[in-house]
Amino acid sequence: MAPVPVSVITGFLGSGKTTLLANLLRDPALARTAVIVNEFGEVGLDHLLVEASDEEIVLLDSGCVCCTVRGDLVRTAGDLLARRAAGSTAPFDRIVIETTGLADPAPILHALMTDPAIADSLCLESVIATIDAAAGAATLDAYPESVKQAAIADRIVVTKTDLDDPAANGLDERLRALNPAAPKLTAVHGAIDASRLFGGGMYDAQARGADVRDWLAAEAVSHDPANHGHDHEAGRHDGAVTSFCLRRSAPLRAVTLTLFLQVLAEHCGARLLRIKGLVDVLESPGRPAVIQGVQHVFHPPVWLDAWPDEDRTTRIVVIGLGLDPLWLEALLDALDFEVAALQAGAATVAGVSTARRE
Amino acid sequence: MRNPPPCRAFRRPGPAYDAFVLYDTAWHARTSRVFSGALNLWGVAGSVGPDPEDANGFLIAPRSGAEIRVRHDPAAGWAVTLRDPASREAVELGRHAGLPGLLRRLREELAPDAPAGRLVIGAQQMRGRDAGAR
Repeated sequence: MAPVPVSVITGFLGSGKTTLLANLLRDPALARTAVIVNEFGEVGLDHLLVEASDEEIVLLDSGCVCCTVRGDLVRTAGDLLARRAAGSTAPFDRIVIETTGLADPAPILHALMTDPAIADSLCLESVIATIDAAAGAATLDAYPESVKQAAIADRIVVTKTDLDDPAANGLDERLRALNPAAPKLTAVHGAIDASRLFGGGMYDAQARGADVRDWLAAEAVSHDPANHGHDHEAGRHDGAVTSFCLRRSAPLRAVTLTLFLQVLAEHCGARLLRIKGLVDVLESPGRPAVIQGVQHVFHPPVWLDAWPDEDRTTRIVVIGLGLDPLWLEALLDALDFEVAALQAGAATVAGVSTARRE
Repeated sequence: MRNPPPCRAFRRPGPAYDAFVLYDTAWHARTSRVFSGALNLWGVAGSVGPDPEDANGFLIAPRSGAEIRVRHDPAAGWAVTLRDPASREAVELGRHAGLPGLLRRLREELAPDAPAGRLVIGAQQMRGRDAGAR
């Protein structure tokens, strides 16, 4: 059975997640959608609202989905899938998870990507962050969680644009700096075209050309390590977010790429928010690798049959908290140099051994 | 029992750096940047500079605690030495074939409480319908 796409809607308290979701669920295209919601407190108002959409609802009621109920999340998703397989629930083709406003989405994504009970049955489709046009800037100032939600998203939906103009109040600019690769959409009273939110958020290996470029969106991200697309205004949490694209015209050795990701995962910890890239691997000429990770957790790389367009350069987009692009550049170069030297040494030794045997 | 072949044949060969210009200005600058960036990442205040006693070495001096000397040798990789600030006595902490192991050792010495993660490759493909992928 094909894996079920799962999307995560995140966003700070009052940013309009549930309004968005309630509207989406009225769209016939999303009729076969199961929803997992999570709310603080005994009564989930959000749950009641969503319930009105007459969709499959499972309420996680044991607290914040990000830090206390990952087990519940996995169990709930697993139950849904089991009931679907047994035909004991309404059939569904997609799962949408609505997090609490205070949730860090990364652990949720990790659970979905790695838990052996569900990872094979699901495919992570899209991470959608809602942000309030009127209160969004103040929320970004006050709550680092909201910064992380926006930075990690595949798509950002600016809500309540009838109340304030995000272009005029500077929110657009901040979001562009925070996550330049994510398309910015708007929704008034939750109204939005569902087709712009789902599908293609994570890399679709069947996509080609423009789709791959859209997914990577490397052009939107700074390539200049000394100017990585954000200001450093004091007191702003989003000022610490770095969005940067490492670009290499020479192919990278597979070992270099692995070691680079290992070092980032080991030392950057929670500072590493998102990595995605199209990599020219030396050992796989003409067949680039697509990589994607949330913090230290990665999908297995996907190897394309061909480059999607004329641009054959390696592009690795990194979004992180307080990561220095110059350090990332130096690290990648240093590792590649070291691996090249070691491999050249091994080749020399092999040559010597062969000569001796002969 | 046959005599082993001459040591030379069995000597663990050092990386053939012949084709590479090692220890040049670019190498020093790049490596120094890797170390200083790592200190920032771990929240360690201090400085990184060339080791005045060793052309292939670096001196990592945290604002508090003992200095660490890091030296690269083509045959032996990275050697890490702790130097007591009072007695100047040096204690070798270990050797590492490459930068990843070296950085781990430095973090353990300089910032043992800094969070340490590990790379996880999940089981889930990026998309379930990626049958076209190899």
